[in-house]
Formats: sequence, structure tokens, C-alpha cells
Amino acid sequence: MRLPKPMPFVALAMVLVTALLLTACSGGGPAPAGGSSGGGAGGGSGGDKTFRIAVGIDPDTLDPAGMTTTTVANMVDYIVETLVKIDRDGNIKPGLAKSWQVAPDGRSITFKLQEGVKFHDGTPFNAEAVKFNIERILNPDVRMPLRASYAVIERAEVVDEHTVTLHLKEPAPYLLGALTYTAAGIISPKSVNEHGNSMTAYQHPVGTGPYVLKQYTKGSQLVLEKFQDYWGEKPYYDQVVFQIVPEAATRESLLLAGQVDMIILPPTSDIPALQNNPKVKVLLAPSDRTIFVAINTQHPALKDKRVRQALNYAVNKEEIIKNVLFGAADVMDAPMAKPLLGYCQTGPYPYDPEKARQLLQEAGATNLELKFVTPTGRYLQDYQAAQAIANFLQEVGVKTSLSTMDWPTYQATVQVPPDKATVQLHILGWAPTFLDSQQQMLQFTKDNHPPKGLASSYYTNPRVEELVAQANREVDQEKRQQLYCEAAKIIWEDAPWIFLWVQRFPIVHSAKVTNISYLPNEKFDAIYARPAE
Amino acid sequence: MKRYIIQRLIAAAITLLGVTFAVFLIVRLIPGDPAVVIAGPMASGEEVERIRTQLGLDRPFLEQYGTYLSRLVRGDLGISARTQQPVLHEILARLPYTLELAVVSGALATVTGVAAGVVAATRRYSVFDYLASFGTLLGVSMPVYWLGILLIVLFAVRLQWLPAAGADEPGSIVLPALTLTAYSVALVARMTRATMFEVLEQDYVRTAWAKGLPQRRIIYRHALRNALVPIITVVALQFGALLGGAVLTESVFAWPGIGLLLVDSIFARDFPMVQGIVLVYSALIILLNLGVDLLYAYVDPRIRYS
Repeated sequence: MRLPKPMPFVALAMVLVTALLLTACSGGGPAPAGGSSGGGAGGGSGGDKTFRIAVGIDPDTLDPAGMTTTTVANMVDYIVETLVKIDRDGNIKPGLAKSWQVAPDGRSITFKLQEGVKFHDGTPFNAEAVKFNIERILNPDVRMPLRASYAVIERAEVVDEHTVTLHLKEPAPYLLGALTYTAAGIISPKSVNEHGNSMTAYQHPVGTGPYVLKQYTKGSQLVLEKFQDYWGEKPYYDQVVFQIVPEAATRESLLLAGQVDMIILPPTSDIPALQNNPKVKVLLAPSDRTIFVAINTQHPALKDKRVRQALNYAVNKEEIIKNVLFGAADVMDAPMAKPLLGYCQTGPYPYDPEKARQLLQEAGATNLELKFVTPTGRYLQDYQAAQAIANFLQEVGVKTSLSTMDWPTYQATVQVPPDKATVQLHILGWAPTFLDSQQQMLQFTKDNHPPKGLASSYYTNPRVEELVAQANREVDQEKRQQLYCEAAKIIWEDAPWIFLWVQRFPIVHSAKVTNISYLPNEKFDAIYARPAE
Repeated sequence: MKRYIIQRLIAAAITLLGVTFAVFLIVRLIPGDPAVVIAGPMASGEEVERIRTQLGLDRPFLEQYGTYLSRLVRGDLGISARTQQPVLHEILARLPYTLELAVVSGALATVTGVAAGVVAATRRYSVFDYLASFGTLLGVSMPVYWLGILLIVLFAVRLQWLPAAGADEPGSIVLPALTLTAYSVALVARMTRATMFEVLEQDYVRTAWAKGLPQRRIIYRHALRNALVPIITVVALQFGALLGGAVLTESVFAWPGIGLLLVDSIFARDFPMVQGIVLVYSALIILLNLGVDLLYAYVDPRIRYS
């Protein structure tokens, strides 16, 4: 920048004029979709019947196959449906398939499809469409991070217009669960060549869901419109707007100002105040996200399970949940969350610092000094909870040095082979995308040890490996349950984690609306929201 | 003059080339693997590997840079790793929002800053002078995040006058623009006050007073005109700072600009997008500086570039 010399007023005027011109050019950005509802939100009594939801995440993709983030999947669920769905208790129920039959050998599943279902583009939903979609998610050119859960499918066979059979490479009793997840959502085959879509770059989803994608303004909002030909129960609201608001405090303000009807994830520390506010309702939805401190089980000082058990006894989970998480969690009492198939209660580890000291003594692990890392803002109150945990460990004589970093750095730090590990304790959350223990057990089997997977406590136990392998293929669901349960008991005893809590998923909505629920995998269920009487 | 512009443009191109290399290198030096981040924690190692290959991250650094440059000269900024959409397309969709915010705040800061500075300088050590000093100090020392939330609580939640966030309603820009203005108005005001002080001491101003010219005329036509030089410099520099400051403001107000996109892209280690945004920012700042320099020559015949 050259240093200024004397110059007249004209320059300032020109800068201002340029400024104003630029403003005019930008014209306030793209026009809002479908009329303003702003102040009219909060019940739809104004007549425009728009339901506004503020979420924190801007979708990376709207391609169902590309889903990795539950919130994004939650939005896509309005547009695209799956063959099977889950209910509030995690049970599998009919979706686009009205019934299904698993072959006795478990190597195929035959689906009877709902009839008279149309995609948003008017094309019929049928067995051919299902086949197309299955082939698409198996196509390696399509970006599909969660493909592993579906890789067991060998091919899809069209039996007749409304019957389709999936042939499997081996029995996969978890597959039905996997098919409930948005990644297996059925899109219109025709739509891969429309709306600027292609097979591999699919940005404008066209499904069979109760809402049609009308407009997506990146970083701003997703506008959906009611699908008039929807095959199922029709929703109340004509339009749903997802407003993308990264800051939790801002989302909360939008709700309190009546500018949106519902938000997810308010600032955690404000939960008690919101619970006392008669204008809003707080739903702390049970979820499947287990939060834990992964212990490096390969570290010499932590190889002895008594030491790891001691760490479990040392931390007062109840107190942290009450004072740091403001009630938005439940103490873990098994290595997996309750909604999962295969859950059985194995714990909890009660808070017992005396016992912790004793176990440490017995194991000869006095003067432990451990490196402890945590992400910040990835899980509810993660950094604050980690500080509390460090304090509890200190009380039984375990010194920790706690640090935090952004998520990509964090993942690069903990997802390393054991010989490259630089930390001994780290906080992690694990939320199975579908409610089956097969997904949870990825944390306890050596196939998923880093760098391949995120089983970053490097835990392995031959008996557990055996039980899990067996359960993952067992067709009899009762037997499967028992196998997972047996594995869970061993894992609990081996304590590869400090078992902390199962996080709840906070949803807050205006008291003027009702019929808002949740699914147990950190999703809200607000499609059938309507004004409260 | 023409030669000067050409020289400056060549220098700008070289600077931008340097920027591309620095950014290309830096994003790859920060820990974090884009493929791992994009695939999410539940993905299998195989899928992560596949994504890494698709992104071309398995190739040697120089080869990656070469490919990037050869595309860049053809105007292709690459494909976003996170969204799989062309980077240029995504930037162009969001840049207008950021420019709008920066320009409105810049204009607002300039007008109020200059006005406050002039009044403070002409009524030296008066209550108003102290008030202006205090106000500008407050503005510059309040964290954007805090001020933003405060404004939202007051104007959106309590008074319900304005939208709390977003960009899709009339009045949406008011709160973010005010927040951003508070940040730069102080500098403009202080610079105006200081230079006005100096100019008002000049002989020609005293002459003007002696001639019996009206006060308005002396202050605005004679004094301010000559004091504007450093002010315009500060304003131009502030515009760059406003683009940067927009990152936080956009986040608080869910303003869908490029700053928000930059944050999302950094957290996803979306290399092509981060490179693209930084390049666009750099080009904007370089052009802005060039424009201001040329403006000097245009408005003041004594300035000659050769």
C-alpha cells in the first residue's frame, strides 16, 4: 500500500459510490423462497402453514448415499424414504416395503413393496427402482462412506413389479437395521439425469417422501414443500424450512423470538432455563450415542485391567451429568446404548474412589501420569466434562495432562496404530448409524483398530472376537441377543473405556406446536408436527 | 499510467502465485486427513482409502500442486472435497453475501466514523469528544461474538424488531452490519480526529477563519478535504479487515457468506475450497489496494505513477 498524499473529497465519494453499487449488485442475495413467514411462525395460525426448524449444520451433500451426519440425514428423511424404518423404541417397521421375509438360511431377504407409491417426479416406485438403488449404493464410483454395512448384498433381483429379493454373500442379520438408515434411501432412477444430477454427483434428491425439495440455498436454508401425491399420511404443514444456524445461542434466540418453531442442540447450559420457560418445550431424547474415555489398552501402564477398572470407579458420572451436562445424559450401564439390538445391562461402575485407590495399589500402578485429550464442541460439554473427569482421576492419584484440538487434528491424533499413539486417554462418542450391536462392536474388535477403523482403545479379547463374529452372522435374533450380551459382559469387565454416559439429544420447540417426537438415533421426528390446540 | 497499471497487475499475478503455493502447502501441513473427516467416524478403512484416491491425495505433493496450477490458469478452481461441487460455483454463490455485509458495514463505519471524528476534533475536550472516544473504544474492544449475541437478545428476542439470524428477510442485514461496524468505526473515528486536529492547526485554516468564512465551510470544504487522505487509507484497509471480521459475524448471525464457508471448509479439511477462498480474498485485497492507489492519481494531479 502506497502511502497517501493529499487528496480531495472525491475519493471518499467514489469509494462510497462503489460501495453502494456493490451492495446493489449483490441485491441482498438470492430471494427468499415461498413468502416470508418470519414472525408468523410458531403455530401456523397465521395461515401460511410453514414450519421452521433451525439446525446447526450445513449439508455437505444431499445425496442419501453420501450421508455421514445424522442431522443432514434427518433433513433428507423428509424427502427420501427407506424400505424399512425404525420407531421411537428402535423397532424395525415397514417403510416403502410393507413386509419382508428372511430366507431360513439367512442368505436372502424378500421385500413386498407398497403399491401405488410415486416419486416426486411422477415416476412409479417399484422393484426396478429398488434394484437400481441397490446397484447404485454398491457402485464404487458413488461416494458412500457407510458402504461397508451394505457390502454383504450380492445383487437385487426383481421378482415382480412389487417384489424384490436381495441376495446376500453371507447371512447378515444386521442388514435390515442398515436398510433403515438414510444412506439406503430410495431415489427416483430418472432423477439421476435431472436437476443437474448425475450418478456420482447427486445434489437434488427426488424421493417418495412427504416433502419435495424446493430450494436449497447453501449455508442458509433448505425449503421443502408438501408432496401432494404422498402415499402415506399427509403432514399438516405446507412448507418446512430448515434454517442453517451454526451458533447454538443464535438458534436459541431464534426460537425465543418466535422466528423458528423448533431447534436442536441449544446451548447445553441453557437447558434448565429453557425447561422453566412456559413458551417452549424441551425434549431430551434418549439416543444411542455412547460417550466414553477410550483407554489405550496397549500402553504398558494400562494393560492391567484392574487399572482400567480403577479409572472407572474413580469418576463420579452422576455428578458430572447433573452439574456439567445439565441432565442431558444417562449413566452407561453396558458397553452399548439401550435402544440397540443386543443390549443387556452389565453395570454400572459405581463411584467408589476407595476401591479405585485399592485396585491401583494392587496393580502397582501408583504415580500414574497420563496424557488425556478431548475434542471441543463435538459432544455435549465435552471439554468441560473432560476437566471434571481429570479432577476425579487426580483425587485417586492419577495425574493427567488435558488438552484439546479441532476435530480433524483430533482424529489424526487418536486414529493411529498403537505404536504411534501419543495419548493414553481420549474422549470419544460412538453413535451407531443403525440400532444394532454389530455397529457398536466395531469398537471392540481388532479388525477396526486404527488406522483402519476408530476402535482407538486397541481392545481385543479372543473370546469377544469369537462371540461377535458369531453374533454378526446368527440368523436367530434371540440367540444373537445372547451372544452380544455375553460379549458385553466380558467387555465391561475388561474395561477398555471409562464408561461414561449415553448422551441425550436435546430438541426444543415452541409450546404452540405439538406432535414432535424423536427417533433413538439422534434424530427428531417432526414431520407430523401441528399447531397445539 | 498504463505501464504502471500493467506493472502492478504483473506484480499482483506473482503475489497470487505465491499465495497459491503458501496456502497449498499450509493446508497440507495442518494435521487432519480430508478423506477421514469426509468419510466420518463410522466409515470403513476401505471407503476412506477410496475417497483419498478420488481426491487425488495419494499423489506426490508437487504433482498435486502442478495439477492444481494447470487447472487454475484455465479458471478451474477444482472440486470441493466436502460437497463435490465446483469450488468457483460455491464461492460465487456466497461471495455476494460477504461483499454486501462488508460494503454496508464499511460505508456505515466510514460515515459515522468520519462524522464522529470531525465533531470530536472541532469540539476538542468537550463532553462529546470524551463520549466519542469512549464509544469507539467500547466498539473496538467488544468481542464480535459477544456483541452479536447481545444485539440479538435485545432487538430480536426482547423488542422483536428484527430477525435474529439468516439472510432471507428484510432487515436481516441490520444486526450483522451493526456488529461489524462497531469493530471498524473506532479506527476511522480516531484517525479522523487525529488528522483533523493537525489540519485545523494549519495556517490556511487560520486564514480561512480570518477571512470570516462560515464554520461549516471551513470544516468540511477546507479542513476535512485535506484530512481525508489518511482516512481513505484506513477505510480501504478496513475493508480487508471487514472481510476477515465477517468470518465470526457470519457465524453468529448465520449469514451465508464466504466466511462461514471458509470455517466449514477448514474444519472439513476441504483443501480445494480453502485454497479457492483464500485466493479470492487475496485477489480482492490486491485489487482494492491497486484501486485506491489509482484513485489517488486520478483525484490529485500532483501524484504521478511511472
